[in-house]
Amino acid sequence: MSAVVIDRGPAPAAAATGEPLIQLEGVGKSFAVQRGSDARMLRAVDGVSLDLRRGEVLAIVGESGSGKTTLGRMMLGLMAPSAGQVAIGGRPPAALGKRALARLVQPIFQDPYSSLNARKTVGDIVGLPLRIHGLGSHAERRKKVAAMIERVGLPTALIHAFPSQLSGGQRQRVAIARALITQPEIVVCDEPTSALDVSVQAQILNLLKDLRDEFDLTYLFISHNLGVVEFLADRIGVMYLGRLVELGAAAEVLARPRHPYTRALLGSVLTPDPALGLPEAPLRGQFPDPLDPPPGCAFHPRCPVAFDRCAEIAPRTLHDAAGLIECHRHDAAVAAPPDAAR
Amino acid sequence: MSAPWQGPPVLEAEGLSVTLDVPAGRLHAVSDIDLAVHAGETLCLVGESGCGKSMTALALMKLLPRRGKLAARRLTLEGRDLLPLGERAMNALRGERIGLISQDPMTALNPVYTIGNQLEEIHRRHRGGSRAAARERAEYLLSRVGIASPGMRLGQYPHQLSGGLRQRMLIAAALMCGPALLIADEPTTALDVTVQAEILRLFADLQREFRLALVLITHDLGVVARIGHQVAVMYGGRVVETGTVAEVFRAPHHPYTRGLMDCIPAPGARREARLGAIPGIVEPAIGERAGCGFRNRCVRAQPDCGVGDIHFRPLGTGHAYRCLLPPDAALARPRPVAEVPAS
Repeated sequence: MSAVVIDRGPAPAAAATGEPLIQLEGVGKSFAVQRGSDARMLRAVDGVSLDLRRGEVLAIVGESGSGKTTLGRMMLGLMAPSAGQVAIGGRPPAALGKRALARLVQPIFQDPYSSLNARKTVGDIVGLPLRIHGLGSHAERRKKVAAMIERVGLPTALIHAFPSQLSGGQRQRVAIARALITQPEIVVCDEPTSALDVSVQAQILNLLKDLRDEFDLTYLFISHNLGVVEFLADRIGVMYLGRLVELGAAAEVLARPRHPYTRALLGSVLTPDPALGLPEAPLRGQFPDPLDPPPGCAFHPRCPVAFDRCAEIAPRTLHDAAGLIECHRHDAAVAAPPDAAR
Repeated sequence: MSAPWQGPPVLEAEGLSVTLDVPAGRLHAVSDIDLAVHAGETLCLVGESGCGKSMTALALMKLLPRRGKLAARRLTLEGRDLLPLGERAMNALRGERIGLISQDPMTALNPVYTIGNQLEEIHRRHRGGSRAAARERAEYLLSRVGIASPGMRLGQYPHQLSGGLRQRMLIAAALMCGPALLIADEPTTALDVTVQAEILRLFADLQREFRLALVLITHDLGVVARIGHQVAVMYGGRVVETGTVAEVFRAPHHPYTRGLMDCIPAPGARREARLGAIPGIVEPAIGERAGCGFRNRCVRAQPDCGVGDIHFRPLGTGHAYRCLLPPDAALARPRPVAEVPAS
């Protein structure tokens, strides 16, 4: 296997130590968007360098429009980057080929209503990847499908049911069974519980955690819900307007967030504690127009600790022992005025 | 929080029930609910999908689907009996004394009219008066809900606005006639977390300023904890626990309330810990039912749970729960739940 050689400077020492299964180097993705009479480029993901390491749960958090789903699609090999390089299992997805790629990475999507073929039974849906990859005899496949359906907590009687006969949680269990049936190494979960009720969400999160231990899985876990992320993640990456602005060990990022946007996100989480009351409005202004991102640091118009430089020059991406940070206030080479907001 | 609410409630419902005849039988969407909300007070209806919280909100406005049948011993708004009122009289109240804010700000606004048209129409329909007066009110409210350059925004169409802005528009629209009661159905569910925090703060500020009685429907216990005064936890069309937010969160008594609270991935919880999970799924309340609607999912169910009516157990200070377990047993930690499949 010829590995793509990637020079990434000092390696972040944080958290997981497994070898990288997916490597992103300066990855960007732009889409042409027609606005009125002129075509413009929307930079959904911009200059992201990131490793997904064997055995870890890497969570990507951010609000809508942050580029986290696009990033996930590139890590699935479903979308080619328009800049930079993606290596999955050491090779570019195109060189790997569709089948090999599918054996390595599988997705679980947000909407369990549209991600399952409505005209196939649960057994067919879960068994299809085995058929496509020509794994096992007919009898072996049937046995494997039944075992997997049971493992994800579905009654085996549902093997002949159609998706329309299932609840949202049951459908998500089917999606999980389908993703795991070919024993992939990596599962990309894009908001897998955000369409579910809280009691069902808890069931699915517990299941994902158990399956990870049982099958030695590596998860890329995309979510806007920091409570959910805290439950599962080893490392957390925070995205804002296409940029990865902070990355670090989950416990560190949650306890000592460095980027002002991460702090705002954490400050917005409503823990069920009546004594706390409502948080102060964490950010000023609106989410910027992604077709017309602000100059300098894209976060500066909403940042409570921005200073002159932030409006003019984009911050450098700093790799350090804790992970990654993109903020002038954390750049030792930048003389920042005192931070009044802290 | 002892009730600082003076005077009679703005909204009062007793024995409110909604049934719908569906092919599978009679669906008891809402069963025998008592509610009261005072000026300046926030009542949260909380529960999972299918628990009847949205149907309750619609019933309070007598805005049921065609097949829906409403029954109540009492339903009053500002002391006025709503039960005998016809469609025309109710229409005069909706938008005037009752404001509604729905979950999806995209579908609640008409895409082919400007924001200005839609806001002004509400005012002119109920209050008459000039277009200029309506526009003035709209501009005032838009700036009040935190929208910069309201004059420009009034000329825009809904698709030109972000989700957060649209939700602010809907709040302004609901306030156009200065209602006494605001009903908000999952008003922040479709929004990003930072925007949710802003919108909830706006609700709290406006409520104080306009002395609104607010009925807020949500599935999110975090929202309830931070903004609610009173809470009614719903399951299977019934209120299973009710009380002040402080009391119910301090000492949840009903096994369903306790289960919901254990489900939330709480910050600071040990990573090794598993989330508490309520086994099974919400079952539709179709046909005649006896006993507790939660018993099939309840880790503490006993044979008696399937018999007769389960009555509220009052705990004082308005806190009550609908369960056979006596208070000390209800508060004892249940056995760890075995992972139960089939959801």
